[in-house]
Amino acid sequence: MRKHMRMLMRRPVSQTLTLIERSFCSSTTTSFGIKNVTKSNFDAALLDLRQHIRAADFVAIDLEMTGITSAPWREAFELDRFDIRYLKLKDSANKFAVVQLGVCPFRWDPNVSAFLAHPHNFYVFPRQELSISGTSCEFMCQTASLEFLAKYQFDFNACINEGISYMSRGQEEEARRLFTSLYDDVFLDSHPSSKDIKDKPISRVADVLFTERMKSKISDWKNGLLQVRNRDHECQGSRKESFQQFENIFYLMRPAVKLHGFTSRQLRLIQLVTKNHFDDLAYIRVSGEGTSLQQLLVYTDSTTDKDLLMKEVKGILLKETELKIKNAVGLRHVIDLLSSEKKLVVGHNCFLDIAHLYSKFIAPLPATGEDYISSIAKHFPYIIDTKLLLNNNNVFQVIKQKRSTSLAKAFAFLCPDIVSGVKTSGSAYKPCIKVEVQVDDTRSSNWNSGAKHEAGYDAFMTGCVFAQACSHLGIKFESQVPSPSLALEEKLQGCINTLYLSWINGEIIDLTTGKRIVESSGSSDRKYHHSKIFFSNIVLLWGFPSKLKAAEIKECICKVFGQSSVASIYHLDETAVFVKFSKAELVTDFLHLKATLEKNNDPISVLHPLSKILDGGCTCAANYEVYKEICESPISEMLFADQAATIGIKWKTKLFVPKQKESHRETLGPEDGQFTGSTSPSEKEIKKLVSVLDGLSSGRTSNRLADSLHLAQAQIGR
Amino acid sequence: MSSRRPPWLLQRRFITTNTHTKPTSNPTHNPKWCVKQVSKSNFSETLENIKDQILKSDYIAVSLKKTGSHSAPWHRTLPIDTAQTAYLKAKYAAERFQLFQFAVCPFSIRDSKLIAYPYNFHLFPRDGLKLGMPCYSFMCQSSYLTSMANEGFDFNACINDGISYLSRAQELIARNRRGNPVISNLEQSSSPHSVADSLFLGRIQSRVKSWLKACKESKTGSEDALIRSLRKLMVGSEEYGSRPCLRIDVCSERHVQLALEVLKEFADDVVPMVIRAKGGGIQAVQVVLTSSKEDKDIFEEQQCKEEDQNKLVRGFREVIDLISASQKPLVAQNSLNDFTIIHSKFLGPLPPSMDEFRTSLHLAVPHVLDISHLMDEISPLKKLNSVSAATSYMKRRFFAPIDAEIPQKVEADESKSHGYDVLRISQLFAKICSVLKISSETDKHSSSALKGYANIFNPYSASSDNHMEEDVRLSTDHPQKISTENIVFVWGFTLGTSAKMLRNQLLTSSEVLSDEFDVRILDKSCAVIAFSKPDSSTKFLEAMESGGNNCDSLSNLISEGLRAADYETYKRVCSLGLWEVKLADSLDKALETDFDGHTEDSQKESTEVYWRNSDLINLDEL
Repeated sequence: MRKHMRMLMRRPVSQTLTLIERSFCSSTTTSFGIKNVTKSNFDAALLDLRQHIRAADFVAIDLEMTGITSAPWREAFELDRFDIRYLKLKDSANKFAVVQLGVCPFRWDPNVSAFLAHPHNFYVFPRQELSISGTSCEFMCQTASLEFLAKYQFDFNACINEGISYMSRGQEEEARRLFTSLYDDVFLDSHPSSKDIKDKPISRVADVLFTERMKSKISDWKNGLLQVRNRDHECQGSRKESFQQFENIFYLMRPAVKLHGFTSRQLRLIQLVTKNHFDDLAYIRVSGEGTSLQQLLVYTDSTTDKDLLMKEVKGILLKETELKIKNAVGLRHVIDLLSSEKKLVVGHNCFLDIAHLYSKFIAPLPATGEDYISSIAKHFPYIIDTKLLLNNNNVFQVIKQKRSTSLAKAFAFLCPDIVSGVKTSGSAYKPCIKVEVQVDDTRSSNWNSGAKHEAGYDAFMTGCVFAQACSHLGIKFESQVPSPSLALEEKLQGCINTLYLSWINGEIIDLTTGKRIVESSGSSDRKYHHSKIFFSNIVLLWGFPSKLKAAEIKECICKVFGQSSVASIYHLDETAVFVKFSKAELVTDFLHLKATLEKNNDPISVLHPLSKILDGGCTCAANYEVYKEICESPISEMLFADQAATIGIKWKTKLFVPKQKESHRETLGPEDGQFTGSTSPSEKEIKKLVSVLDGLSSGRTSNRLADSLHLAQAQIGR
Repeated sequence: MSSRRPPWLLQRRFITTNTHTKPTSNPTHNPKWCVKQVSKSNFSETLENIKDQILKSDYIAVSLKKTGSHSAPWHRTLPIDTAQTAYLKAKYAAERFQLFQFAVCPFSIRDSKLIAYPYNFHLFPRDGLKLGMPCYSFMCQSSYLTSMANEGFDFNACINDGISYLSRAQELIARNRRGNPVISNLEQSSSPHSVADSLFLGRIQSRVKSWLKACKESKTGSEDALIRSLRKLMVGSEEYGSRPCLRIDVCSERHVQLALEVLKEFADDVVPMVIRAKGGGIQAVQVVLTSSKEDKDIFEEQQCKEEDQNKLVRGFREVIDLISASQKPLVAQNSLNDFTIIHSKFLGPLPPSMDEFRTSLHLAVPHVLDISHLMDEISPLKKLNSVSAATSYMKRRFFAPIDAEIPQKVEADESKSHGYDVLRISQLFAKICSVLKISSETDKHSSSALKGYANIFNPYSASSDNHMEEDVRLSTDHPQKISTENIVFVWGFTLGTSAKMLRNQLLTSSEVLSDEFDVRILDKSCAVIAFSKPDSSTKFLEAMESGGNNCDSLSNLISEGLRAADYETYKRVCSLGLWEVKLADSLDKALETDFDGHTEDSQKESTEVYWRNSDLINLDEL
């Protein structure tokens, strides 16, 4: 959502900015590159970043993803209820991958009275370094998003070749469990008491021959070894050739052979031979090059020496595992750091960003929005959204009126000094807060890489905007030495831990209380703010003739239910609309009428005004709850009508019983031809039912009666 | 790509293609082998070249590089799949993943010499028209992207400079004027006419003649309105803009060619145009009558302009259309996966059943030869799934020297060489032909010897259009066939149970299972039991249904979570698209959904699958 907004809004500004940059580039701005972090320099960068984050007053973040919405109808709409909004968020965070993470810690440096920023740009690629489960790691790409990234010179090669991988906490636990069981297996096998192998007698002739051959080879080697100890090295050359699959090495100060080019069955037989015939040899597996395990036969002097060896090997393996897991955790170290240091996290319109961080690095997103909101605070106790900060404070009214609060515009307006790299006197507000940038050992007081839509630079801009905004709000950084947590600053309390749920209708959520409010100020330009949306007034209609326009649908329905019956029509996509009725009863009436018309396919229903909508016979309608059901599905078809069909909706009209929410008793509308089956009741009964239903829709029957009738109808339907 | 960027942008791409670790040069590929790399910038020039080469060559090899294949071990085609379930699996993958490279290689074989013109097209589904087409979003598997990256594939170039495309169906939507015809510039093939062809030719000829006559007559005399409309009705004349036109309905690309052949005769007056059907095939040929030579030129020019516009929109599909129009046999490896992708990206949405797919594809591409099936002919017992495995097998077993000649010159840019697979396929095909003594020179691509191998899509059964014949031959030297009725799926056993353990557990648990039966693990969650006696499966399912049938150990297993389902349930899993990661979850879901619809059409298809001992599912591979 945010990215789309950016695409729409930031383009013209970015052009003007580029002009400004170019004109100043040569003279004033120091433009060393941003700190790019990939697989190769991750460990070193993490070490530095650890210190920077610990010392930071706040940390600005930004993400670049491979997409925002998996289908057009999954974009954010005004008529999205909170649960729907969450489902859409969850869908987006689950399906798309993060390809860049920008982290920029800001620290107030009292010596120079300026903020010191350390912008980091992490390339991310989910490559699944340790394959735990058999499933492949996959993610979705939105074509438009990739093109957008490509337009801003995103380096996909770097991302795929060199991107840092990660593992969530859940995956880490699973990996640990897997490794433990794997190594248990290794040690059980090499333990003499293992019965598993001994149980199987060697029966195949080939196996017997192979075993014998190996036995003689191994004893040759052992004897040779003892001879070498006693005599000279003469015969070694010739032995090497005869044992091409046996490579002489030393392992942990002991003579050993490396086994090459055996099949797993042969290795198993060799293991068996060793166990049964050579007490002083230990068969061990150690991690070799790459991911494979290397098989070794190690000579030991005595049983105690053998035990010692096994202990050493086990220690090495455990250490290796730990290292492997640590490497595979990868980028999550950065997020864990942010979380454990309880730093103030600053983002710009960052609801989706936070969801991505949560789902990728912490845990799968919970089933309900409420659970999610309440669990964010456990991991990120302080979050500030600069977009909300700018919109919700009267100090920034000028920005809001003149320009939008998109990141690039806010940055250009609030931090002109940083943008241009020179001191300007004519800033709109008080003088700029100075921001110095340090990348590795290079430090500059007027740095600007200008690479917009690069996560690292965007994070830097966000941080600058936040610092500037704080200064305008009258927060004194000078007096805060040694810096206490900015998060506790009184002047920010209105904004901390509140995020935009949806930028479209300005709905805000307070993460600490879970309360949702509609933004009070700046709503004048948005039409639907003050009227609360009653979701029970909404009918979801899809599969109607493709050329039908919203106005025509409205006209059709108004012809039947009266001019004021339809409040508005919203298109989800070309195949589906929301019809917002003025009263909740009309929803029921409409659905019943539709079901009736479809059932009696007589000339009168053909002439009915609604037949224009029902034309084609594929028009489906249901109440708002079905929308949730459709959004919940992990499938994302391009068109809403296809989506509904794919998730298995076969009915045409879903009737529902109002005021019975607690039981969720819903009845299915009859399908075409459903009454022709052997169990169907007589025509008469149906007609009677229909007439009652018709009566119901004109409000003559009481609700109680209606309920029982729906039930009866449902039973007949079955 | 990056070298052309202004210097101030270079710093962002701090890892450019130049610094990539080069893939170690493949020992099997000949240094003189050069595949021409085609992207947006050199697409139109290439199009001209490839057009001739497609027409001149005997075969066309294709090979695709996708962004992923199967998301879970059981999603790929298994030996137990019928043609329909295998198709549904391929369909699911084709609809989700994207193509980044499409290698095309028109080639001919002359005296054990391969003359090949390999091209590798880089594709990206750029939304040029801002309509959410050709695709709004697609899936990627990181392992596929990583392996492409290891080969040195330049993703930046792909996204910036990849060729876009629209499928035939999408083009129709894009033009928003359905049935808008296109001037035909399809090349005509020289293949001889059959009897049916001659009949069709004659009919079209007389129809066009009488229509022309009628048009010319009506021009002269002033007629009554009624008579004019009656005449219109009789002759089937319509109007295209201000010009009269005639519609000739066709059912295949072949018909289009024939119709165009006839219309050559009347080339002075009429302009033939091709109307595409919604599904992507050709629906009709429209003949527009122009009043004079000048009028004809004006009309053609007008249409050409529109055509240029459309060409841009079609993008890479132009190549597919050329291939389709040539009617040459296509050679591919793993044809089911490749051609479901080709159908869904370049023709139209995939139909729900294998038969419909076969028919629909047949209209565009009449002959598809699958390398793996030809290999089956040579080594019936050993399944050689990859081109390299098959090539080395051929090298070991047969002496079939094939000289490769690649006439076209390509600047040898080592870092950009992709798409060798298509050359390997061509070469392997040439070898197979020489081993199987199929000569392509004498009877060209209509070679009857190859016809038997054409259009077999199920990788595990060689049933093409003529079922009976194939079955007889196969039953002699192919492993045991098993009817799907004798297959039962079981799941809910303890994780990590081996097939042997499971078999023993089942054997001791029920008297029903005292018969001969075989157990295979499908994925970690699910196994299949194959019974050799026809009614044992029903008995077993009944025992499971009744909670163990008074047998304690079976009811023990059931209470521990063991469940079972028949093959129909598996079919329903595939047709409902319940593609969970674990097959067990999918089967559970399928049991929850009520029975309806789909069972009817699934009954028609052949119910035999192949139970081969060589097709042990290797869990390490998954």
